Amino acid sequence: MNEELILQHGLTLDEFQVIRKYLNRDLSIEELGIFSAMWNEHCCYKTSKKWLKKLPTDNEIVIQGPGENAGVIDLQDNDGIAFKIESHNHPSYIEPFNGSATGVGGILRDIFTMGARPIATLDSIRFGLIETEKTKYLLNGVVHGIGHYGNCIGIPNIGGECEFESTYDFNNLVNAMAVGHVQKDKIFYSKPKSIGGLIVYIGSKTGKDGIHGASMASDVFSEEDEDEKRPSVQVGDPFMEKLLMEGCLELMSSGLIESMQDMGAAGITSSSVEMASKGNVGVYINLDKVPLRQPLSAYEILLSESQERMLAVIDKKNNHKVKEILQKWQIDYEVIGEITDTKRVVFESNNKKVVDLPVEIIVDDAPEYDREFYIPRKRKNKDFDFSKIKLEDMIINLLTNLNYLDKSWVFDQYDSTVMGDTIREPGQSSGIVKIHGTQKVIGASTDCNPLYIRINPYEGMKYTVAESYRNLIACNINPLAITNNLNFASPLDPNIMGELVLSIHGLKTAAVKFNTPIVSGNVSLYNQTNEIPIKPTPVIGMVGSNMDLNKINTNKFCEIGNKILILGKQLTKNCSPYLLQDQKIAFNICEFNDLEVLDLDFEKKIANCVLELSDLKCIMSCNDISRGGIFSALLKMQYKDMGFRVKVPDPIDLFCEYKAGYVIEIRSKDFEEVTSFLTKKGAEYLEIGEIIKEGIEINSKKFDYFDIMNKYRNDFEKIIS
Amino acid sequence: MSFKSAVITFPGSNCDRDALCYLKDLTKGEVHNIWHEETSLPKVDLVILPGGFSFGDYLRSGAMASKSKIIDEVVKHANDNRYLLGICNGFQILTEIGLLEGALIRNKKLKFLGKNCFIKKKFKNNFNLSIKDNQILQIPVAHNEGNFYCDTETLNLLKNNEQIAFEYCKGEFSNTEENINGSIEAIAGITNKKKNVLGMMPHPERAYSDFHQSQDGRLIIESLIS
Repeated sequence: MNEELILQHGLTLDEFQVIRKYLNRDLSIEELGIFSAMWNEHCCYKTSKKWLKKLPTDNEIVIQGPGENAGVIDLQDNDGIAFKIESHNHPSYIEPFNGSATGVGGILRDIFTMGARPIATLDSIRFGLIETEKTKYLLNGVVHGIGHYGNCIGIPNIGGECEFESTYDFNNLVNAMAVGHVQKDKIFYSKPKSIGGLIVYIGSKTGKDGIHGASMASDVFSEEDEDEKRPSVQVGDPFMEKLLMEGCLELMSSGLIESMQDMGAAGITSSSVEMASKGNVGVYINLDKVPLRQPLSAYEILLSESQERMLAVIDKKNNHKVKEILQKWQIDYEVIGEITDTKRVVFESNNKKVVDLPVEIIVDDAPEYDREFYIPRKRKNKDFDFSKIKLEDMIINLLTNLNYLDKSWVFDQYDSTVMGDTIREPGQSSGIVKIHGTQKVIGASTDCNPLYIRINPYEGMKYTVAESYRNLIACNINPLAITNNLNFASPLDPNIMGELVLSIHGLKTAAVKFNTPIVSGNVSLYNQTNEIPIKPTPVIGMVGSNMDLNKINTNKFCEIGNKILILGKQLTKNCSPYLLQDQKIAFNICEFNDLEVLDLDFEKKIANCVLELSDLKCIMSCNDISRGGIFSALLKMQYKDMGFRVKVPDPIDLFCEYKAGYVIEIRSKDFEEVTSFLTKKGAEYLEIGEIIKEGIEINSKKFDYFDIMNKYRNDFEKIIS
Repeated sequence: MSFKSAVITFPGSNCDRDALCYLKDLTKGEVHNIWHEETSLPKVDLVILPGGFSFGDYLRSGAMASKSKIIDEVVKHANDNRYLLGICNGFQILTEIGLLEGALIRNKKLKFLGKNCFIKKKFKNNFNLSIKDNQILQIPVAHNEGNFYCDTETLNLLKNNEQIAFEYCKGEFSNTEENINGSIEAIAGITNKKKNVLGMMPHPERAYSDFHQSQDGRLIIESLIS
């Protein structure tokens, strides 16, 4: 086989030799295609596996950890929660609308493949600076795509994050998360149960879209590639997915199928190989039986990533009933093969075996690399000059920065109330939905602090996990588990590899401390275009619960006259990265001081105080303190005609970031009870002011409330239009 | 006598479950879920055509659903002077069937709009009896084609016959525009001439339970039951 062909398939010559030696024969082009699909980063985690193994993935509430289509946790009674986050970065850069739409479609299939009904989606999207030529086009396309798919299928979008930063100029990030509800005794796995079971193809016909998508997702980009790679982006049909979801859920609740696997990345190849591997069995598939949209070669069928397709295993005797249900939902259905005892993957086309490989070589012998990595150098301490900085300018800097403005423009394009169970919509610290027919609620948040992680990947990752944690705590949601989406540049650069290794270590430390295991996830590497690497962006999706929906906190001010208290510990001005960056004090990444060590026990202590005070109904509203400090938190809490009057020793303190930082609103009559509770717990607090009508006052200086609120609420749309 | 109702499900409907819960919780009576391929409809007081993307909204929102088998029965139900409520996609389907006037075109800003909106009643009918004049209701909208349009002649008819049931308005302290989607005369919902068929873009079934942000959506069912 010629070298060029091998390299085109994304395999190294060494990797090819391993295969060649094992098989002791030449490969068919179809087999080469299979290795191309299964041995890339996206499918086999060859770079990250060694480090991912170190993550905590289990505790008393984990029903299913990583390795299935989605992780599942126990929510008492017969309720389980399935959730996962996944990236669609490269497709969304090449074709923002379809790239992001199919990202949502893919993650939803991962959820209902487990037998769970999706109940919420979230997203984490990052773009370059708005001044960059393509950013507006990408932003519009991505938001439209996410909305189009989720709105049509009818799953509420309950939250997310949207950041603009120059490292994403030519490599935007689109991570989509989905959460589903499953009855614990009705969880479906990809492992087939019996030899001789029929393999059935369910869903859309196969076309040419997405051929080589998974290997594209594992490649470095250059600007010229863009047009050439566009055919590798899948096209989504949310209506088809809605039918597929209802059809599959009906099949599962009727007990008609044994196992199910979504045809996502690497299509029929990946789903059938996974099935065989999980069950320690073999699969035989006749490719001539696959429903096609257009004439395709065996090679193309194997690698197509056409959307809205599932592979299921059923008992022969149920064939007729399965067909009947799928006909009702107008879904294509075909028996295409069966489970064998050969432990081989066999694909036949035109009466010829085009693929005949042992499962072992594809899955178990997949490469695993221990790549070289560097640990970042220790940073020098530097004192910054804050003497020239004025409060007015600090406020203007925030109100002219997209990252601080109200993002309704984004989430108003999403349906966040469909299904009728939404309790907190996007724009609050975490999204919250009720488990249908119960009093239980699920809260979720997606977060990442790329700047922190670039400064110090280990500590920075702890801060990122802590931010998700605080977002849930602020709503009185008890954090339970994590899904992660590790977006990094090329791991072939030992500096980038170092960021990957250390941030996974930071994730581990925080997850162990918070008892929030990682139950699912995704890795997206090679996020760099024209050799500009993105900042390390390991996004966290954290899920938590409260068994009583009446105990949930709001993030919005409740009543004029109530007091405002601050919990937590402020980062010093010199070590508050977003303050330095966004107030234009530090410009270059080399200038920043190292992060202060984040004491996770302290995080837990303060969090427990917030949870206890919330249960005592002493907290009227609460928000966490993150980028933009107390000031930004207060802007987010603004509601109706309410504003705030605060007094602090130094106004710059209002813009610093925090450890375990929370703004809480309490009634004057509860002040004694709250403060003595906090003192008893050894939690420091700061009383900074009160809620007033239509005003913003800082250290007796009055600001134009309407002007600030108007800018905060409306300028996002003005800037991006 | 207990209030009986039904919700039609089309392929792509996604608010059918919400509508069923809305009816079960508020009417306390019998509620049926009817698949679009059925050819008979039980005798009920109210039928809801729910929101969603029936048949993917391909061709035109509501166009394909208006040709479904069950529609003949739905029309008979309406002609029998019983209540028919189309919410969002249901409203679009009603205009496609021809039970309601006008059409729903793309929102003024050409973007999907999913947020709280504020409406008040315009002319009195059995769907809004329990709502006071000038009472502002907060109810979510979620649509891409909710911009109500009709020609001047039709608009005059709608006014003269007092067929405009709801119009968008500004809420107190709200940042929302008065006419969120650009509908002609800010129309949010209209009835037929006999006022037993209502189509509205806002989703009352998402604003009735204690945990919802607003409970104003109850008023529509309460009006019908009273």
